Amino acid sequence: MTNLAGSRPQLEEKPTKFVPGQPDMWMFVLFESLLFTGYFSVYLVSRTQNEELYLRSQAALDLRIGVFNTIALLLSSWAIARCVKASREGAYRPALINASLTILFGVVFLVSKVLEWVKEIHMGNTFTSNEFFQHYFFLTSIHCIHVLIGFIVLGVVVYQLWSPVRRSQQLVETCATYWHTVDFLWVLIFALLYVVR
Amino acid sequence: MSLPKMKTTEPLTMSDPPTGSWVSRLVWNFRHHPKRELWFAWWVMVIFYQLYGVLFFFVTRVQPPPSPAWDTPTVVRWFDDHDFGILAGFGVVFLVAGMCAPMNALLAYSMRRMSVSRLFAYSYLIIYSLAAVPGMLVMAIAMIVAALRPHRDPELIHWLYDFAFLSFSGTMGVFMIGSLVWMVAILLDKNRVFPKWFGYLSLCNALTEVVVAPAWIFHRGAFAWNGAIAWWINMVVFVLYTGVFIVLLRKMIQREDFRAGPLPALPDKGEAAHSDSVEAVR
Repeated sequence: MTNLAGSRPQLEEKPTKFVPGQPDMWMFVLFESLLFTGYFSVYLVSRTQNEELYLRSQAALDLRIGVFNTIALLLSSWAIARCVKASREGAYRPALINASLTILFGVVFLVSKVLEWVKEIHMGNTFTSNEFFQHYFFLTSIHCIHVLIGFIVLGVVVYQLWSPVRRSQQLVETCATYWHTVDFLWVLIFALLYVVR
Repeated sequence: MSLPKMKTTEPLTMSDPPTGSWVSRLVWNFRHHPKRELWFAWWVMVIFYQLYGVLFFFVTRVQPPPSPAWDTPTVVRWFDDHDFGILAGFGVVFLVAGMCAPMNALLAYSMRRMSVSRLFAYSYLIIYSLAAVPGMLVMAIAMIVAALRPHRDPELIHWLYDFAFLSFSGTMGVFMIGSLVWMVAILLDKNRVFPKWFGYLSLCNALTEVVVAPAWIFHRGAFAWNGAIAWWINMVVFVLYTGVFIVLLRKMIQREDFRAGPLPALPDKGEAAHSDSVEAVR
């Protein structure tokens, strides 16, 4: 997550009230966390009712692709954290480069995810194959929709950083918070679908 | 007294504030209150959603939805058990369906009060005016047709059952676009009509509408039209979202000053008691 230690002196004057970006975005993080907790709960309850099917289906997933997806998104989170840090220091060119890197890692994630879907479908594992793959395609798809929205959000970051007349630090941090949420949700999805046996 | 036009530069002044009994105050409010249309639309919204809940959950019993996996005899038996509730309940639904008009107008008004293009309000108004058809009326017609003649061919009754629930649950994309329009308007707005977190909550609501799409495919499980994800979680989010926007619209009306520019914040309770503002005399 974004390092808060590098904030400017005027921001450190009110440490108890400070959260990166708009506090409203943290409400979104809360809403999304609750919503996905609901989805994960349904998955886990369904799993307890047919554990053998879930274990057998999980074996059809390639753990290496899941690890690659996770590394791609973690790198994107690292890049957006560096972008926020550079922007706070007024180094807008490195900030822009890091925002571009975030988009690049996001695209790598998305492309690798689509390739994985194609591979699974070729193996006969589709959305209607069984309960596990219903959850697999649902959770990964809804997450990818968040990634697509994330590209719009990262576009806002680039737009803000591009011109000296804009450069709202609050907006940059708000957008970074969204992107970290996308990463955070993926780590949970990865753990549940690929790792937990 | 006619409603003051928006974008006036003069502050709103009131004459003859009501004193005496609540009846005289009610009459004064009815005749003179500059926000009477807004409050009327807000109360219509509150009453409509209460009626909607009672009619769909307790009278017609179509919510929570029964299973899409039922065979024909079970579906026919379900109609036999619920026929009076369906006929009477959906009869009332047709009577009150028009309440959507002032309700949607108030939602569009909130966007007109924002600093954003009018296109948002017009888009929202059109989407939600059309949404009443797949969201409510088609289901009501199909259900009534099925319940009206219980001795009809059972296969036809089953057909109407599928048609009703798929039209109701499977068409949430319309509402998704509506939520997104409202969300973008809130996030772009500089008049602080709604807090930004409500814009983000609108995004959550829009994303749950996407989740209903698999209801077209599945007969059972979490993604069927009565499933844990496609219905139960969505319903929790929808109820929360609706409750929140009803409260926020109430605050918006209280804050409305019929001027251009940012909406003023609500005064503290102590200040409000001594204020000669419109809300203090309401």
